Amino acid sequence: MRKLHITSPIIAIIPSIAILGVIAKLISTFHAGGSSLILDFAYSAITPSVDPLVIKAAINGLKLTLFTTSISWGLSSIIGLFLGILSSRIVSRATFGEEIISRVIRCLLCIPRSVHELIWGLLIIQLVGLSIWVSIIALVIPYSAINARVISDQIDNFDTKPLLAIRNSGATPLSALLTALLFKLIPTMVSYFGYRLECTFRGAVILGIFGMGGIGTELELTLKSLEFNEMWTSLWFLAALMFLIEALINKSSQELTVKELRYLAIFILPILLLIPILFSNENLVNFGTIGWHPIPFPSSQELKTAFYELPILNLISRTLILTVLSAGIAIGIPPLIMFLWPGKNGKRVQTIVWFFLRLIPPPLTALLIQLTTFPSIAVGALALGCHNVGILGRLLKESIKNDDSSNKYSILATGADARTVWLYGIFSKQSNRYLAYSAYRTDVLLRETSIVGLIGGTGLGWQIIESLSSFDWNQLIILVCIYSTLTIAGELISDKLRDHWLNDRTQWEFSLG
Amino acid sequence: MKAKIKLINVSLKGVHNYRLKDISLKIYNGERVALVGKSGAGKTSLISTANGIISPDNGEVIIEDFAIKSLSTKQKVKIGTLWQDHRLVEELNVNQNINSGALARHGSLWAIKNLISELDVEECLRLMRVVELSEELIFSRVSELSGGQRQRVAIARLLRQRPEIIFADEPFSNLDPKLVELGLRILLNRDNSLDEIITAKTVLISLHRPELISLFDRVIAINKGEIVMDEKVKDIKEKDLESIYIE
Repeated sequence: MRKLHITSPIIAIIPSIAILGVIAKLISTFHAGGSSLILDFAYSAITPSVDPLVIKAAINGLKLTLFTTSISWGLSSIIGLFLGILSSRIVSRATFGEEIISRVIRCLLCIPRSVHELIWGLLIIQLVGLSIWVSIIALVIPYSAINARVISDQIDNFDTKPLLAIRNSGATPLSALLTALLFKLIPTMVSYFGYRLECTFRGAVILGIFGMGGIGTELELTLKSLEFNEMWTSLWFLAALMFLIEALINKSSQELTVKELRYLAIFILPILLLIPILFSNENLVNFGTIGWHPIPFPSSQELKTAFYELPILNLISRTLILTVLSAGIAIGIPPLIMFLWPGKNGKRVQTIVWFFLRLIPPPLTALLIQLTTFPSIAVGALALGCHNVGILGRLLKESIKNDDSSNKYSILATGADARTVWLYGIFSKQSNRYLAYSAYRTDVLLRETSIVGLIGGTGLGWQIIESLSSFDWNQLIILVCIYSTLTIAGELISDKLRDHWLNDRTQWEFSLG
Repeated sequence: MKAKIKLINVSLKGVHNYRLKDISLKIYNGERVALVGKSGAGKTSLISTANGIISPDNGEVIIEDFAIKSLSTKQKVKIGTLWQDHRLVEELNVNQNINSGALARHGSLWAIKNLISELDVEECLRLMRVVELSEELIFSRVSELSGGQRQRVAIARLLRQRPEIIFADEPFSNLDPKLVELGLRILLNRDNSLDEIITAKTVLISLHRPELISLFDRVIAINKGEIVMDEKVKDIKEKDLESIYIE
């Protein structure tokens, strides 16, 4: 019996097939009505508005987003670090002698983590009314839980033998943990919290698109009024800030020595926490008043009725299809393009393309695509997929850049062409790690389906907005519970897949009969 | 005479069979005991159970009349262990690693000070001289040191702890003879020349090289998790020792 051995570099490229289905669907629903608008949008990139009022609005929007970002990031980092340490199995064992406390905290943190910040934002608006705090709380709740999980996973992956040795010499839990783990944790923390700064910034922009203020709101308003020149003014400012943030993060995670990283960790949080204080003096930030309008608690009969009224299976299947299609595009396209165009020019163009794909938030991409087509799963999948192509493309590029070139030169020495060298000498070494990260990214994509679901008119995200708009709290509770369960299940599957790829399973075998 | 270390019917289950099976033994104050046996005989399990790292499935470990599991964190300072894999904190320098042996005698603030400043340098240098480690290395990260240098740091950390009992799990495997001789001279302190530094008089060391047992008072041999020999060194014949290593 012959067997088909599909290796990980190919497994990473295969999902790009998803784009074919998506494009086919978009072509079938294409209408030329919005073509001139798309051209107008593209042309506006080189002719952004320089009206002082527009520039001022863009800068103020950016400041507000930065304000939200820095407070949310600072708080979620501190809370996440604290909860991460508490939920670490190693810390729990070293402090209390058993893991029960860490397990309980881990279970509880699944819930805030499983709901996307946008849904938190929309829920919190209902509870407290519109205020700057809505975005901050909406970002802090899930991000603290995500940070906690990553920090606890990092700690639990450390070699525990030195900790046990110190504990066994009679040191108190706190002294032993500080001595054995603190300096191990600092470089990880700096690098990871740097990455989270970028995520929080993107999150704040998306919340803005849904009316919670900042540069996102500017983008949404200018797009809806088809003022593309003004939109590009905001986009260029956003691009400049994103470029700065990414450059800072790259610098902090690659070029600094361990000693510098320690100082950065000690000083960076207070400095970033100073930003809100500076901005709050400019009368830019309207803290507003926080009201409290609790959602009426439903009876079990009301919940039961709401459950049967909803097309649950349809909503779940559409959400899953959206996830699979967008993940296929996001995972498969970057290595496919790098494989097809591996030269120096290719790399330069790819770097620019990845940057612009990351720059435009998925809801805006979805709105732009809808100028020439009708709402569908394909619109959402393409918008979400493209944005994540930008994220995974940059990650793969950085990962390849940091790797040693020994394999590349050995394949080059065989006289192989550039594409083969890239596939065998460069990507083959990276593919397992890339697939492991992609598994995590798929889990993130499942959460993010809510943001394009709202615009693409599909899936659980869309239904949540519908239920919110009609104040149907019973449906809302059911939907959030289903969404939460779905993302927790997705997280478990992605964990398994990540383990699978990191344990060096480079091949999938299929019998050919 | 009171036993310093007492194991009463200690058993430890493994995946397929017992790692330790109904072990009872007493080690008295001032005794230097060698633990010998083939690879996989249960030496590491016995050391790890005796020093409290692993709790036995059955039986009890008593240190100076107290069950080891009832010892407070502070009381554990009496028990020092030298590990085969050193278990140093890679991110810290030699000074900080040696000081980590003294954490039990100081509070958490001292632990923080040790991480951000040069603490008790003189004391560390004194111990570095004892273990014959170049003083220039005091602020080097342990991850930059050779295997032999790391072993010296681990011994210095153990001395900094000032334990009353020393357990060591094959501390001299893969080391050059000079370092083995130095290590044994320090840990066993046979000529009492290091009385000021070595407070421990009771020592249990597992060895994979039986030719070193002449330096000890007593030898315990273990096979398949059971004690197969427990004799004073002077009473041991060469063929008894050979039989331990032959199936």
